[in-house]
Amino acid sequence: MSLNMERGGMAFTFKGGMLPMTVMELTSADPERIRDQLAGKISQSPAFFQHTPVVLNVEKLDEPHLALERICAVCRAHKLLPVAVRGGPDPVKQSAWALGLGWFPPQEAARARPLESVAPVAPVEPEAAEVEVAAPEPTAGAVGGGRIYRGTVRSGQQVTAPSGDLIVIGAVNAGAEVLAAGSVHVYGALRGRALAGIHGDPLAVIFCRELNAELLSVAGNYKRLEDVDPRLLGTAVQVRLQDDQLGIVPLT
Amino acid sequence: MAKIIVVTSGKGGVGKTTSAAAIATGLALRGNKTVVIDFDVGLRNLDLIMGCERRVVYDLVNVIQGEAGLNQALIRDKRVDNLHILPASQTRDKDALNLEGVEKVLDTLSKDFDYILCDSPAGIERGAQLAMYFADEAIVVTNPEVSSVRDSDRILGLLASKTRRAERGEEAIKEHLLVTRYNPARVDSGDMLNLDDIREILAINLIGLIPESEAVLRASNQGVPVTHDADSDAGQAYTDTVARLIGEEVPLRFHLYEKRSLLSRMFGGGRR
Repeated sequence: MSLNMERGGMAFTFKGGMLPMTVMELTSADPERIRDQLAGKISQSPAFFQHTPVVLNVEKLDEPHLALERICAVCRAHKLLPVAVRGGPDPVKQSAWALGLGWFPPQEAARARPLESVAPVAPVEPEAAEVEVAAPEPTAGAVGGGRIYRGTVRSGQQVTAPSGDLIVIGAVNAGAEVLAAGSVHVYGALRGRALAGIHGDPLAVIFCRELNAELLSVAGNYKRLEDVDPRLLGTAVQVRLQDDQLGIVPLT
Repeated sequence: MAKIIVVTSGKGGVGKTTSAAAIATGLALRGNKTVVIDFDVGLRNLDLIMGCERRVVYDLVNVIQGEAGLNQALIRDKRVDNLHILPASQTRDKDALNLEGVEKVLDTLSKDFDYILCDSPAGIERGAQLAMYFADEAIVVTNPEVSSVRDSDRILGLLASKTRRAERGEEAIKEHLLVTRYNPARVDSGDMLNLDDIREILAINLIGLIPESEAVLRASNQGVPVTHDADSDAGQAYTDTVARLIGEEVPLRFHLYEKRSLLSRMFGGGRR
């Protein structure tokens, strides 16, 4: 019988999981160039750089010896946490392991792509990389990859939409937590904690029919119940980022 | 096959054991063969409420560990023929229970009884999870108080995930809300949560409302389930609850403030 309560003596269990992961596709192996580009990005979307785990994809590089250690150091200095490397020849794999990083085999699709098509794009490299990292922003309202939850989210429960919007058809009770990479929509009373834009999407919005949330957060900017204008309590509202501040506006 | 009903709440002291005893008594009084099991190993109380504490020889732990047969541990109620009690052990702790053992006991009892009531311990740990694991229905006992409501909400979450029906993807456990210690006068003055607020937050079917009553305390101390006190408000409220549990439609009583003159005399309603 598969039972949680029979685990008295076990320290852990292995579970499979699909986690959203940012892939940093390197088109240059030069740590200085990477550093310059990261510095530019940080000013554009600071919320993204909060110890975000990244996978370094080196498939497009044709260099047998990467300065992997220096590239990782540059990433960490900009609050990105390299957790693994994807692709690259055997020496790259060995140095990834030596640095305590994981190694993934190259993507089949990417391998199949003819190298010639990459070359012409090279001049616009920065733009290509930009789309990869900032992808969540333009698609803030998209339901693709989102999740619909029907019923009451109860105290102690956590419902997450790791990529996309979370739609709750019911109430979110005190002590419950709802999280989404995109926006959070609650068709009922919101009494628990709601976190939208958990990967740093500043365009994410929280909607609810009745505001009594313990905590509201969009892209890491949060408000506690205490900070909310009491006149808004119990009303239908939307919560969005306006000039790095959480704004709560009645839904009419 | 018996219907297995867990009486649970998360929070302690809200009236789980009192309710389990009163509802089991009510079911048996209506001719159903009923057994009530105390899952609160280490803090045995049900035998006291049922007034059979002097007749406990073997208990649930003895049966599970093979030290006694089920029939040796079952105590026949002195007042109602169809009612049996399976007491908990006072000297062991909740680790003495295991899932296979509980399943075996419930399977065996299922053949002979119409209703099996599992009186859950407080908390959300092993003891409480074992008590709810095999349930078909759940009675969630809640006081008109924010912490009790929140703990009930937590228990409802566990009922929907940590039970056999949930793990097997079977039809969900039927959840019933039982509000106890309800004092309409204090609700009216704002000291207590009102019934509508509780129902709105927990969003489950209301099976009964038991008014705060001296009869409950008296019944506990005398070891006579309050259902036997047919003149008392609480006794009648439990009788109503049992009727609803077996599918009858009974209008709600004791929830309105207009009872004030009677209630205030009984509870010294002037306190605010």
